[in-house]
Amino acid sequence: MNLILDIQRSIEKNYNNNAFCFSNTYYTYRDFAQAISAIRIKIQEQIKKDEINVGLITNDDIYTYASIIALWMEGKAYVPLHPKFPKDRNTTVIKQADIINILDSSDDQVFSKYHTILTKECNTSQINLVPVPVTKDDLGYIFFTSGTTGTPKGVPITFGNLSGFMDAFWELEYTITDTDRCLQMFELTFDLSVVSYLAPLIKGACVYTIPKDEIKYSYIFELMEDHALTFTLMVPSILHYLRPYFEEIDCPAMKYSLFCGEALPLDVTEEWSKCIPNATIANVYGPTECTIFCTDYTYKRNGGNKTYNGILTIGKDMKNTTTIIVDDDNNQVGEGENGELCLSGIQLTSGYWKNEEKNKEVFFTKEYQGEKTRFYRTGDLCAIDNEGDMLYLGRIDFQAKIQGFRVELSEIEFHAKAALDKLNVVAIAFTNSIQNTEIGLVLESKKFETKQLLEDLKKTLPQYMIPTQIKFIDSFPLNTNGKTDRKKLNKLFG
Amino acid sequence: MEVDVIKSKISAVLVSILEHDNFEMHDELTAKDVDGWDSLSHMMIITKIEEEFSIRFKLRDLNKLKNMGSLVSVIQTKI
Repeated sequence: MNLILDIQRSIEKNYNNNAFCFSNTYYTYRDFAQAISAIRIKIQEQIKKDEINVGLITNDDIYTYASIIALWMEGKAYVPLHPKFPKDRNTTVIKQADIINILDSSDDQVFSKYHTILTKECNTSQINLVPVPVTKDDLGYIFFTSGTTGTPKGVPITFGNLSGFMDAFWELEYTITDTDRCLQMFELTFDLSVVSYLAPLIKGACVYTIPKDEIKYSYIFELMEDHALTFTLMVPSILHYLRPYFEEIDCPAMKYSLFCGEALPLDVTEEWSKCIPNATIANVYGPTECTIFCTDYTYKRNGGNKTYNGILTIGKDMKNTTTIIVDDDNNQVGEGENGELCLSGIQLTSGYWKNEEKNKEVFFTKEYQGEKTRFYRTGDLCAIDNEGDMLYLGRIDFQAKIQGFRVELSEIEFHAKAALDKLNVVAIAFTNSIQNTEIGLVLESKKFETKQLLEDLKKTLPQYMIPTQIKFIDSFPLNTNGKTDRKKLNKLFG
Repeated sequence: MEVDVIKSKISAVLVSILEHDNFEMHDELTAKDVDGWDSLSHMMIITKIEEEFSIRFKLRDLNKLKNMGSLVSVIQTKI
C-alpha cells in the first residue's frame, strides 16, 4: 500500500526535522522512527499475526503517535480508547472490536485486565521502518461514534479508504511542506485527528498538539502566535470562544485555516480572516463513515460567499467522492430542492462494525450514471445550487454536534431513563450565548436533586455528552402530530 | 482589594455559574477539582469574573489561570 510507504519515505527523508511538539518539547523524525521501531518489536513479540484490531490508549505523547504508525507498519488497525471515557463505554468498545491487546503509554496501565504493551518502556537502537505488505482492504482504524440504542457504533476504515482520502486531500492544493508547522487539536478518538497528524507526517512537517490539561482555545492562540503555525484544522466552536479576543490576534504566518465538524457561520469567518491576513480559509465537510471529510469550499475574501441562514456552503465533493441529494424514496431531487445528502466513492466505509441492522438502514445501492453504486445516507439535509455547491440546511434526525463530536440525543435519553427508573426525559441540543451547542435535559417531573443522575450519566457517557443544564416540566408539550414538541422544550434553554 | 475579598467574589461567581458550592477556596484549587468546571463553563466563569471586577483578561492571561492562586494574582494586577 503506497500510503504506508509514503510515511516510511517521509520519516527517513526528514530525520533531522522536528516531527512533533508536545508541551514545548520537540521530537525529531529520528526520535519518532526510533519509538516506532521499538514498539514494532513488542508488537511482533506479543500480538499474533492474525489479530488485527489493537486498542490504543489516547495519550498526548510521542509513544501514542508512534504506536499508530507501528501498528500500520505491522498491518494492524488501531481502535482509540480515551482514558477519561467511562470504563463501561470503553469495555463495550473493547468487546465489540474483539480487542485482546492494548498499547498504552501511561505510567499506570489503564486497563489492568487486558494484555497491555507499555509503549513507554519499549526500547531499541535499531531503526526498522519497512512495512509488512498490506492491501487496500486491510483495516487502518475503527472509530466508535454515538449510537441511538445506547451502544456506540464502530466505523471501520481501510487503508484503501484512507489512501483515497489523502489523494483527494492533496488535490485540494492546501499545500504542506517540510517547513510547515501544523496544529493537531483533536482527541485521537475523533477522526479529524487523523488528517491533522498524517498530512504533516507525510510531508516532513511538525505537528503541534494540545496538552490535555490546557484550555484548548487559548492554548491554540499561543501556539499560533509563539510558534507561528502555518496550517490549522479546527472545529468552528473554537472560533466562537476566540471571537471576543479577535482584536488581539494577528498571525500573518498562517497559510491555511480549515474548518470541519460543525456549521461555519459566514460572519465569524469574515472577522477571523482579518486575524490571519495571508491565509486561505476553507470549510470542509464529511462524516467519519466517508473517511474524515469529503467536500470542500474555499472561502472568498472578496465576498460573494454562498450561505444558507448565515452558514457557509459545504461546497463540492472532493476528487474521490460522489454526492447526490435524494428524497425519501432515494430518488435524486432537482437543483435547489431539499433532500438528504448521500455519499459514495472509495472513501466510504464498507459498513458499521458487526451491525447489519444499522447497515441496512443507512447504506443502499442505486443505479447512478449507469452503474450500480453503494451510497451512505448522512442524515444531513442539503440542497444543491446551479453551480454544484451544496448548502447545509440541518439534521434530519436527532443528532447534535458538540464541539465537533457527533451525539445521538437518543443515546443520552436512553442512559438518563435507565438511571431514573421510568421518568420521561428529552435531551435537547441548544445554542448558547456564544453560538456553541450545549446539551440540555428536560425531565417530566417535579424538581429534585440531580447530582446522582449526573454521577450515573458520567459512568456511561463521555464528558461532552453530559447535559450542562437540567430543567423540570410537569408534562411535555405536544405538537400537532401528537409528538413531544422538542422545539418548545428547546426554548427552555439558552 | 484584599485577597479575601477577591476570593469571596470569585467563589460567588463559581456558585452562580456551577450551581453548587461543593469546593473549597484555596490557592491550589484547579478547574479539575471542581465538578462542572470544564472548558464550556470556564468561558462563562471568565466572563462573569470580568464583569464582577470590571476588568478584561487578555487571551494570553487565560493560560496563566492554572489555579486559584494565579487567578487571584492576575486579577490583582488588573484592578
